[in-house]
Amino acid sequence: MPPVIDREKCTGCGACAEYCAEDVFFGSEKENIPQVTYPEFCAHCSCCVYACPEKAIWLRIPLPMQLLYKNPERTA
Amino acid sequence: MKEKRIQTDVLCVGAGIAGLMAGIRAAEKGAKVVLAEKGHALHSGRGRGGNDHFWCYIPEVHGHDLDFFMRESLKTPKLKTMQSGTASHVLRTFLAKSFDIVKLWDKWGIPMKYQGRWEFAGHSFPGDVLTHLKYEGRDQKKVLIQRTRELGAEIVNRVMVFDLLRDKERIIGAVGIDTREDSLVLFESKAVILGTGCLDRLYPPPTPAWMASIPGNLTLTGDGRAMAYRAGADIVSPEMPKRHVGPRYFSRFGQATWVGVLRDPHDNPIGPYVTSPNRVYGDMTPEVKGVYLEEFLKTGKGPVYMDCRGISKEDYDYMMHWMWHEGNAPLLDYMKEEDIDIRRHPIEFQTYHIIPEGKIWINEKGETSLPGLYSAGDESMGGISCAATYGWIAGENAADFARDVLLPGDDRGKAEIGTKKELIQKIMSRREGPDWKEVNVALQQLMQDYAGVVRSETLLTAGLDYLRRMRRKVDQSMIARNRWELTRCLETLNLLDLGELVFIGANARKETRALHKRTDYPLTDPVMDGKEIFIRKKNGKPVVEVKKA
Repeated sequence: MPPVIDREKCTGCGACAEYCAEDVFFGSEKENIPQVTYPEFCAHCSCCVYACPEKAIWLRIPLPMQLLYKNPERTA
Repeated sequence: MKEKRIQTDVLCVGAGIAGLMAGIRAAEKGAKVVLAEKGHALHSGRGRGGNDHFWCYIPEVHGHDLDFFMRESLKTPKLKTMQSGTASHVLRTFLAKSFDIVKLWDKWGIPMKYQGRWEFAGHSFPGDVLTHLKYEGRDQKKVLIQRTRELGAEIVNRVMVFDLLRDKERIIGAVGIDTREDSLVLFESKAVILGTGCLDRLYPPPTPAWMASIPGNLTLTGDGRAMAYRAGADIVSPEMPKRHVGPRYFSRFGQATWVGVLRDPHDNPIGPYVTSPNRVYGDMTPEVKGVYLEEFLKTGKGPVYMDCRGISKEDYDYMMHWMWHEGNAPLLDYMKEEDIDIRRHPIEFQTYHIIPEGKIWINEKGETSLPGLYSAGDESMGGISCAATYGWIAGENAADFARDVLLPGDDRGKAEIGTKKELIQKIMSRREGPDWKEVNVALQQLMQDYAGVVRSETLLTAGLDYLRRMRRKVDQSMIARNRWELTRCLETLNLLDLGELVFIGANARKETRALHKRTDYPLTDPVMDGKEIFIRKKNGKPVVEVKKA
């Protein structure tokens, strides 16, 4: 479930937790690796991904939100 | 519980596009301005990820007949629904001012020109008047925040304002909570501007009970509308539904940014407007009838795909450029990860859930029916260009209003504040009971089943009865384990009030119009043309009136 934090890369700067409108990182403390307290409330806006100076966050898009598409190569 | 007191001339509730523009203009006019934002200003509201379409009237492009332009624009059923409840002279004021706002944004650093020209595309029919300016809005909020701060207005993040304070007829401030710390925030102000956005969480999302599967914002819960109603302001047409269309299931706005053709499984276009990808017009079919895609699915004719195959390299680059500015970065990133290429893969589209289009009534100055209370943005006029323009107008008039009145004394509103404190303490102190999510899901279920796509007097009467019964229970039992949950609880209480207004409005509108479908009144009543359902709280009870906006 989004967002996923790379614990090796994260420096605990808190940028992600500062900006998130949904406050999914509620309860996180600066200097520490943020906790994703409310992952199901993530709106997948990517603001944390783009705010992270270390590129330590990626969004795992949950399966119910998968994009559906037609694969013409296979049906042809 | 700690208490913080903030005194200001003008309080803007919400720091989205409307709130920021209101704050900027009020500060320019010399008012002391505070903006209260329940999230973080940089990433809140519908404009948080960007935008690429700005509905505006530019005389050098459109000619000198503004009324003609307005009539042409409102031909589109979707835009018409978005503006239901807004008086035509208010819309006219918006359009007359819109080009000034375009020029201001361009000057401040939001690029409104494309390759040195006014570029119009999307949201328009082939061969017809082009209504929407393309602009590079990816950083619009950053630019507006910078401008707000340069003018000395203060932005207070993580404070949710949840009720207005009233002294006789006048609004004298508002009550909020800190969403992270244990404190109540009391605002004393001469004027209040509500810029709190849409109502995205009242109906079940595309994936039931999965709140996050909506294209909009999870924290947009019509807070302004609900508190304005409780304070006695006029609410207009809360019953009118709107349905957006976009990628399934990765719900996103920005349908008009896609350069493609909506096709059925046999590759036939579902609409009459385009047969190959066209960067100027896109496919207008879903703006004529958003539920068309749902009907394809329900009758077994679907799925419906957005087909961009055959797009030229230039048009592909053009579309991707605007998708980025529209705020679709997460979708683009995901497609890249999954190796989905719109040049090869038709993407399934769907009709999303119901978003009620109700409004806080405003006049041409952005004033509500209560002195000292203003409103702008989606709460009163749908869309980002309307938010920007009416934010500006409301900010200007609120600053003028504030100049002529004094701050209320300390003891005003004391009883109301006491009641609010008690409400919070009760929610926080209970150990057993439904939390916000349980209440929200139960509410969505009632809305969908009793005031959804099919409506009738018997369904609406029963639904309202069920809702009120549940409400009494919720008032006695809802729990929050921390400040985050408390914030969601206060949002959900707003949703319960607004749900009630949908039922009342839908029952009062005894006709079928657009997506408000009454099985007991299947005809559109011409007598209702230009009229709206008004609801106001008087002596603790809703009062309904049918009249012109």
